[in-house]
Amino acid sequence: MSEINNSMTQSSLNTATTTAYEKWRLLKDAIMRRAVVAGGLSVIFAIVVIFFYLLYVVYPLFLSATAESVAQYAIPEENAGKTLFLAIEEQNEIAARFTDKGQVVFFEAKTGKTLLQKTIPLPEGVTISSVAQGSPVGDGAIIYGLSNGQAVVVKQQYKVAFVGDKRVITPSLKYPLGETPLVIDDTGAALEKIAFKVSDGSTTIVAKAADKIRITNFEKEQSLFGDEASLIRTDSILDIPAGNITDILVDKEDRNLFLVSNDGSLSFIDISKKNAPEIKQHLNVVEAGQKITSLSFLNGDLSLMIGDSSGLVSQWSLVKDALNKPAMQRVRAFKVSEKPVIAINTEQRRKGFVTVDAAGGMGIYHSTAERELIKESIGMVAPVAVILSPRANALVFQNNDGKIHFWKVDNEHPEVSVKSMWEKVWYESYPKPAYIWQSSSASNDFEPKYSLTPLVFGTLKAAFYAMLVAIPLSLMGAIYTAYFMSPKMRIYAKPSIEIMGALPTVILGFLAGLWLAPFIEEHLSGLFSLLVVVPIGVVLFALGFQNLPEKFRQKIPEGWEGAILIPVILITGWIAFSISVPLETALFHGSLRDWFKNEFGIGYDQRNALVVGIAMGFAVVPTIFSISEDAIFSVPKHLTVGSLALGATPWQTMIRVVLLTASPGIFSAIMIGFGRAVGETMIVLMATGNTPVMDLSVFQGMRTLAANIAVEMPESEVDSTHYRVLFLAALVLFMFTFVFNTLAEVVRQRLREKYSSL
Amino acid sequence: MSTPEPRSHSFDASSILRSTHKHDDPVEPCLKVENLNLFYGKKQALFGINMEMPKKKVTAFIGPSGCGKSTLLRCVNRMNDLVDNVTIEGKILLHDANIYDKSINVAALRRRVGMVFQKPNPFPKSIFENVTYGLRIQGINDKRILEETVETSLRGAALWDEVKDRLNDNALGLSGGQQQRLVIARAIAISPEVLLLDEPASALDPISTLKIEELINELKEKYTIVIVTHNMQQAARVSDYTAFMYMGELIEMGATSQLFTKPTKKQTEDYITGRYG
Repeated sequence: MSEINNSMTQSSLNTATTTAYEKWRLLKDAIMRRAVVAGGLSVIFAIVVIFFYLLYVVYPLFLSATAESVAQYAIPEENAGKTLFLAIEEQNEIAARFTDKGQVVFFEAKTGKTLLQKTIPLPEGVTISSVAQGSPVGDGAIIYGLSNGQAVVVKQQYKVAFVGDKRVITPSLKYPLGETPLVIDDTGAALEKIAFKVSDGSTTIVAKAADKIRITNFEKEQSLFGDEASLIRTDSILDIPAGNITDILVDKEDRNLFLVSNDGSLSFIDISKKNAPEIKQHLNVVEAGQKITSLSFLNGDLSLMIGDSSGLVSQWSLVKDALNKPAMQRVRAFKVSEKPVIAINTEQRRKGFVTVDAAGGMGIYHSTAERELIKESIGMVAPVAVILSPRANALVFQNNDGKIHFWKVDNEHPEVSVKSMWEKVWYESYPKPAYIWQSSSASNDFEPKYSLTPLVFGTLKAAFYAMLVAIPLSLMGAIYTAYFMSPKMRIYAKPSIEIMGALPTVILGFLAGLWLAPFIEEHLSGLFSLLVVVPIGVVLFALGFQNLPEKFRQKIPEGWEGAILIPVILITGWIAFSISVPLETALFHGSLRDWFKNEFGIGYDQRNALVVGIAMGFAVVPTIFSISEDAIFSVPKHLTVGSLALGATPWQTMIRVVLLTASPGIFSAIMIGFGRAVGETMIVLMATGNTPVMDLSVFQGMRTLAANIAVEMPESEVDSTHYRVLFLAALVLFMFTFVFNTLAEVVRQRLREKYSSL
Repeated sequence: MSTPEPRSHSFDASSILRSTHKHDDPVEPCLKVENLNLFYGKKQALFGINMEMPKKKVTAFIGPSGCGKSTLLRCVNRMNDLVDNVTIEGKILLHDANIYDKSINVAALRRRVGMVFQKPNPFPKSIFENVTYGLRIQGINDKRILEETVETSLRGAALWDEVKDRLNDNALGLSGGQQQRLVIARAIAISPEVLLLDEPASALDPISTLKIEELINELKEKYTIVIVTHNMQQAARVSDYTAFMYMGELIEMGATSQLFTKPTKKQTEDYITGRYG
C-alpha cells in the first residue's frame, strides 16, 4: 500500500515520470480551463462587437458635412449674357446658365464644356426685367418677367437614357404655358419683380409692375369632349402700396403670397381665392435698421428663410395662433455671419439650406436639427448665383471673378442633432415646440421628426406599469412560497410559476392585443372591482375557514391550505367581472370609460398601458419570482431561528431578518425584471397600439424603443438617416439594459460582500 | 396517561437532585420536565424524561451524538415547534406553568427563555441593532432605553470594551468569538430568566472558548443556564449539575463533581472514561 502511495506522490511531483493517466488528467484539465476562458472571453467579445457595430452605424449621424472644390472654369459662352440664374440636374453632370439676354446655356458641370445653347423667343426690343425660380423648387421651372409687361415660363428637362452601359443625359427646354409670352400687365409696364407657382392644374403668377402687385391665375380646364384643354384666366390687383416691394414668393399650394419690402417688413396675403386676395398680416421680420438681404422658401414652402444685413437667417413659419388663425411667427434663427447674408439656397428634398454671406463665407445648415454642418470660406465677395444640386451633394456658383465653381458636398445626415433627438423641437405647422417621433411620410418635402424622447418615455412607461403589476405579485408570491408554504406544495408551485417564463412572448402579446385589450375595454370597472372583491373574498374565506370545525379542516392535507384559495380567487374574480356591467350602469352612467373622459378628461385607448402592464407583468413575474424566491429561501435557517428564539413572530422575522438578508437577491431580481421589461418587444408591439405619445395616463398607449425598431427597421432604407437613427435607438436600448444590469450587479456585489460572512 | 409506553423506565433525576443537595442551600427548581416523550414522525427521540433544572445554576447536558440532548434543550423554548411532524407529550413547567399549554404565547415564552446556538448567528445589521433587536420587536424604540440596554447587555456579555467604539459597524465584521458573545448579549438584552446554550463554544477557537466559559460563570449570577456540550471537560468546568443522556433517555443526573467522580450508572462511567461516544 505504502509503496503505491509513494510512487503516486513521486509521479505527480515529477512530470518526467508521470503515468499516461496522469498526463491525460492534466491535459483534460488544461483543455477545459482554456475552453472555459475562451468561452467567457468570446461572450465579452461578442457584446463588445455588438456595441461597436451599433456605434459604427450610428457614428456618421454626428459627422459634419464636407465640401471641396472639384473644378473651376471660365463662364461658358460668356457672350450669351450675364448669368441671372444657375441650375444643375440631379446627377450633377449637367448645369445650366440662364442669362439676361434670354439665352440658356447647358454645360458639363465638371468641365464647363457647352453642350447646348437655346434662345428663349422674346419679342423684338424687349428685355428681361426679372427672373424667378418657380415653386415647388425642385420642379425646374423658371419665369422671366419682361420689360413689356409680359412673362414667359421655361422649364428645364433632363432626359436620362442608357446607351450600352453609359448614362446619357439630354437637356431640353419646355414651355408649359406656351412659347408666346403671356401678358401680365396690360399697360405694358415692365415686370420688376416676379414669382410664380406652376403645376398641371393651376399656375399663378404674381408680379410687380408700375408699383402694383398683379396676381394672375391660369386654371386648366379639360373640355368634356376630346383632350382639348382651355386655360381660364383670373386677374386681380392687390390693394397695397407696392413701391418698396423687393421680393415676392408664392407657395406651392397656391394659397399664400409673401411680399417683402425694403424696410424689412413682410406681408402675408391669402390668395386661395384668386379674385379676392386678402391681406392677413403685415409685420417686421428683421431688427430695426437691418434690411432683408435674401429670401427663400424652405423645402415644402411652409417656412420662409429670411437672411438679413446683420448676418442672421431666421425661419418664419405659419403657426396657428390662439384664435386658430395662421400667422407668421419666428421659429428659430441662425447666426450665419457678421456680414449680410447675400444668398440662401434651400435643399429640394430636406430641410437644409446653404447660405453665402458678404464676407465670402458659405455655410450649410439644417433647420429642424438647428445644426451648422459646415462653414467654409469660398473666397468670393459677391457671388452672382449659387445653386445646390437636387440631391444636395453638389454646389455650383458663379463668382465675380468670372469663373464658375463646382463643389462637391458630402452631407448625408443633417437631420439629426442631440437637440433634435432629446429636446423639444418646433416643427413646421406645429403650434409650439414638441417631442415628436414621426420618421417617414409619403411626401417628399416632409419634415422628419426624430425625437427619441417619446420612445424612451414609452419604454419606461411600459416597464413601469409592468413592474407595478409584477413586483407586488412576484415578491409576495416569493415570500409565501419560500417562507410559509409547505415544502410539498412548494415542489409544485415553484416550477409552475417558472414555466410561465417559457411561454413565448408573442403568444402573450397576441392574447393581450386581441383578447385582453377588448375584454378590459368592456369590463373596465370589473378590473377595479377585482382589486376590492378578491381581497375581501379571500379574507372572509380565511375567517370562515378558521371557524370551521376541526374535522373539516383536517381534511385538507397539511400545507395545502393555500391551494383551496384557488377556487375562491376564481369565483370572486368571476363575481368582480360579472358585476362590472350593472356597476357601470348604476354608478358611471353606463360606461366607466366615458365617465373618466367626461369627469376627468382622461381618454381611453383600447390598447393601453393597463393592458401592457398586465401582459408584460405576467411575462416578468417568473423572472422576479424565481430569483427572489431563491434569495429568500436561501436565507440561512440559523438567522430565522435566532430571530424566533428572541421572541419575534414569524412575520417580524420575515420583515426584519429574512427580507433584509435576501435584499441583494431581491434587488437583482427586480433589476433583471426591469431590464427584461425595457427590452421586451413582442408584447408591447402587439398590445400598445404603438402611438409615440407622451402621456403618463394608464389608459393611453405608447411606443417603446424596441417596438419602434421592430416596426420601422424593415421599411427603412439602408444607411439612410432613418436607418441610423433606428440603430441609435438600439444603442440607447442597449445602454439602458447595460446600465440597469451593471447597476444591479454592482449593488448586488456590494450587498453580497456585506453579507458574505453569513 | 395517553402517551405510548416508554421503552424503558428512565432515571428519575429529581430525586437525585434533592438527595445530593440536602446539606447545601435549598435548591429552588426553575424548570421541571415531567414525563417528556418526543416523536419525529413515528420515530421516538426522547423517552420519558423527568428532571429539574435549578434556578441560577448551570445545568449541562452531556452524551454522545444523537442522544437527544439538543432536542431536549430545544423543547424548553419550544423551538421544536418549527420542525415538521414533531409530536411532544408530557410537560415542561416553567415556574409551575406548563409551556406546552394551549394558552401559552410562544413568542412570550421565548422572551423568557433565551437561546444561543452552536453557530454564531448575528443578523446582518449593526452591533447596536443586533442587541436591540429583541426590544424593537416588542415595540420598544425609546433611544435612551435602547442605548442603556446595549451597554448593560454588552458589558454583561464581556464585549463592551471591544466594540463600544464601533456600535454602528456591521456585526458580521466581528470575529467568531465576538459574534458568539454578541449573540449572548442579544439574548440577555431582553432579560430572560433562562438561557439555553446549545454547544455555544464548539465552533470557536480555544481562547474564545475560554472567554465564553468565563462568561457563563458570570451569567449564572443572574440567569438559570442550561448548556448542551460535547466537551466533558467543559461540562466539568462550567456546570453545577450535569445530566448524562444516552439514546434519548436520561441516564443519570447529579451535581457535576459527583457525576464525574462517582457515577452511579455503568453507562455514565463508560462514557466519561471514554469507552464510547
